[in-house]
Amino acid sequence: MPRALTVVYSAFRMAMLHWMADPQWIIPNIIAPFVFTTVALTLFKESTGPFGLYAVLGGGMMGMWGNTIYSSGYAIEFEKWQGTLEEVIAAPSNLMHVITGRAISNAFFGLTNMIAILIIAVVGFRVPLGISDPLMFAVSLLLTLLSVSALGLIFASAFVLSRSAQVLTNGLETPLYIVSGSMFPIALLPFWIHPAAYVLGPTWGVDAIRLATSTDYVSQSFWAGMSPNVAIFLDLTVMVLITLIYVAIAAVLFKLVEKRARITGTMVEA
Amino acid sequence: MAQSDPRQDRTSGKAIVAEHLCKVFNVTKGMVRRTRSQVVAVKDVSFEVDYGELFGVVGPNGAGKTTTIKMLTTMLLPTSGNASVLGYDCAKDVTKVRERIDIVLGGERGLYTRVSAVDNLNYFADLYGVPRNIRDKRVKDLLDFMGLSERAHNRVETYSKGMKQRLLLARGLINDPDIIFLDEPTVGLDPEIALETRRMVKELVAKGKTILLTTHYMFEADELCKRVAVIRNGEIVALDTPSGLKKYVMDTSVVEIEGYGITEKEVAKFKEVPDVVSVSADLGEQKQVIKLQTPKGSEIIAEVQQILKNSRIYDIKIKEPTLEDAYLRLVES
Amino acid sequence: MNNLKIFLSSAVFSFRAQFDWLNPTMWFTMKFVLTLSQMAFFVFVGLFANADIRFIAIGNALQSISWNTIFSVINITGRDKWDGTLSLVLATPANRLPLFIGRAMIHVLDGILSAVISFVFAAFIFGVNFGQTNILALALTVALTAFTMAGFGLLIGGFCFFFRNPMVFANIFTFALLIFCGVNFPVQSLPVAVQPVSYIFPLTYGLTAARNAITGADLVAIAPTLAQQITVGLAAMLIGYMLFRLFENNARKTGKIEAI
Repeated sequence: MPRALTVVYSAFRMAMLHWMADPQWIIPNIIAPFVFTTVALTLFKESTGPFGLYAVLGGGMMGMWGNTIYSSGYAIEFEKWQGTLEEVIAAPSNLMHVITGRAISNAFFGLTNMIAILIIAVVGFRVPLGISDPLMFAVSLLLTLLSVSALGLIFASAFVLSRSAQVLTNGLETPLYIVSGSMFPIALLPFWIHPAAYVLGPTWGVDAIRLATSTDYVSQSFWAGMSPNVAIFLDLTVMVLITLIYVAIAAVLFKLVEKRARITGTMVEA
Repeated sequence: MAQSDPRQDRTSGKAIVAEHLCKVFNVTKGMVRRTRSQVVAVKDVSFEVDYGELFGVVGPNGAGKTTTIKMLTTMLLPTSGNASVLGYDCAKDVTKVRERIDIVLGGERGLYTRVSAVDNLNYFADLYGVPRNIRDKRVKDLLDFMGLSERAHNRVETYSKGMKQRLLLARGLINDPDIIFLDEPTVGLDPEIALETRRMVKELVAKGKTILLTTHYMFEADELCKRVAVIRNGEIVALDTPSGLKKYVMDTSVVEIEGYGITEKEVAKFKEVPDVVSVSADLGEQKQVIKLQTPKGSEIIAEVQQILKNSRIYDIKIKEPTLEDAYLRLVES
Repeated sequence: MNNLKIFLSSAVFSFRAQFDWLNPTMWFTMKFVLTLSQMAFFVFVGLFANADIRFIAIGNALQSISWNTIFSVINITGRDKWDGTLSLVLATPANRLPLFIGRAMIHVLDGILSAVISFVFAAFIFGVNFGQTNILALALTVALTAFTMAGFGLLIGGFCFFFRNPMVFANIFTFALLIFCGVNFPVQSLPVAVQPVSYIFPLTYGLTAARNAITGADLVAIAPTLAQQITVGLAAMLIGYMLFRLFENNARKTGKIEAI
């Protein structure tokens, strides 16, 4: 059995090669995040406060979400369009590992939105930059990326198991932007939406990323009253736990996908 | 790959064993009112393939060749029956089977066209768990073997059809499989490329690989295969060496008539002639060719002329039956 | 590779339009979900930024028309080309202008419905006070905005005849409206150099008129704005139609109609 990490890396690399061959394909997936963030930046312009933080980081998060929703969901169908699906399935590697590599690449490329927003924010809106804890910033960003990827895995398998999943996910984009606390604090939302926010792994990750960027943020974070380092640690722990649950769900779904493929001979529900 | 695994005893074991394989698909049609029906793709297929054998499976489109191959390569679960490869059960020991075999499906697919040959091969090598140190050398060797070294770093979309075919075969060898399954490998290829492909297949067998090949080109099966199974409607109607199969039709000659103005009406009349065992017709616009299998041989010519009195006859040939004739007989009877 | 491109673009985008072809329940649910969640997103951002929530809610309510008008119209016009039915259509002797415009009309009605639903959201969920609204003025504004936006969609659709991919344009334009038309913030908030762009979109005028109507302005007061909107919309429609004819004539000469 090929080693999981090798397969994940190889799939990630293949996705990277495909992206370099056709980089323009990311544009449709991140147009919404880009526009939404630009609007937010303009609205924030009139106010004072750490809005730059929200806009740039939020833009990055939304970019990851946007690209994951649309690209990861189609990860398996992508192989079908390429004409390589049967060869990939025929290989002894676990299909889930292959798609994991792709899901991670999708989340990673979604971060390009953050770069675009960063440029606009710095040039157009003169947002001050500065990361107070670069190491924890990087760690939090990486773990958040993995959390979004894990959700991408769920999309990838769900899309194959049910046409309705595809349609429903389409309507999920903006609600996810709201509930992930990308562009504004969760506290602003009605209390009954809060559980939806807390169930999302990346929501905790974004909190950690903000904590790592600016120490002033602690009072607005989920762990007001604690020291930034403890708060970051708690955020990351919760996110990792939630992400492990996502992975478990994805594993079950992928088993269903493979079983269905071997019985019906098709990969997409007609 | 286990060296001392008794299941892979090459002197007495079988490389591939298919036992009463059956595959039924449930088909749902319609968006508003959904009707369910069952399609029996494979009814009952049994055969065994020896190590180092080049085994052919022939049959018309829809006969169940591809479905059978997919069951043998773990891609489909049989509805009933057993498939085992190299001693491993295709339904249960999925990973073990997949590690040791490879499959090349025909058609313009199976490769990532936006990346290079090297990237394609490296990728699949990783999916097959080929260790890094072996992988790089093997990829290089395969590209050399297939004559693709010079263009190895170009995108596959820039390749000619022949180069893509060779790369496909290279991909099919990336894990140094014990058994290679080739599904209609020369379909849609230019004659020279098809010829080259067949040559390579023979080379692989000479190297000790076991190959199962499906095709609907009889001359290909005749040329390459040690034994051939003829499948029709999901069942094997004959399994023998090519010369053994030809004996089905040895009692008959083939009378080939080339003419003009021959229609379905005349074809139907031929079918009614006693002693005509089978009729196949190719009714083109410029020319029509009728092939009759009959023990009568040249004695049938008078009747031929009678039936075709309103048509032009260009030529009548009497030939030894070929594997194609045997196949047509088996498949159309 | 071209097939892959078509596939990818269709799959990634088509769902935004495709759900209306799927089934009525889905269509209706999506209508509610999409419009409500977009409005909610910007309202919350606005709350956070201490901006004018009412402004944002009204802006998004009217902008909801664009999904049905610009987006769907571009896709319909572009889709013929992709579906390969264009040559069949052009072969009919049907008068071009009604044919061209007829397609857009169903989407105008659909757009008006979207706007109505969104205004209801704005009132009951986001607390926008419609107490002083001149209903007639607002209704006329909504109808005209839907109509002129459809005309704008025809313009973009007309351009798309010459390009490979209507979906990308549809997306870009529908989203660009959020930045340029005074949906979430006044046009004056944009950099001065960029502001003129806002005035090519009929929605910009529609929003000005709608906001005035909601604070009580009557038909006479908003008439000039609506006149500007109609002018822009008709101009867009005319240019779109001319592009359509241009394309048709070009296709006759060169024999190239269908995609690729």
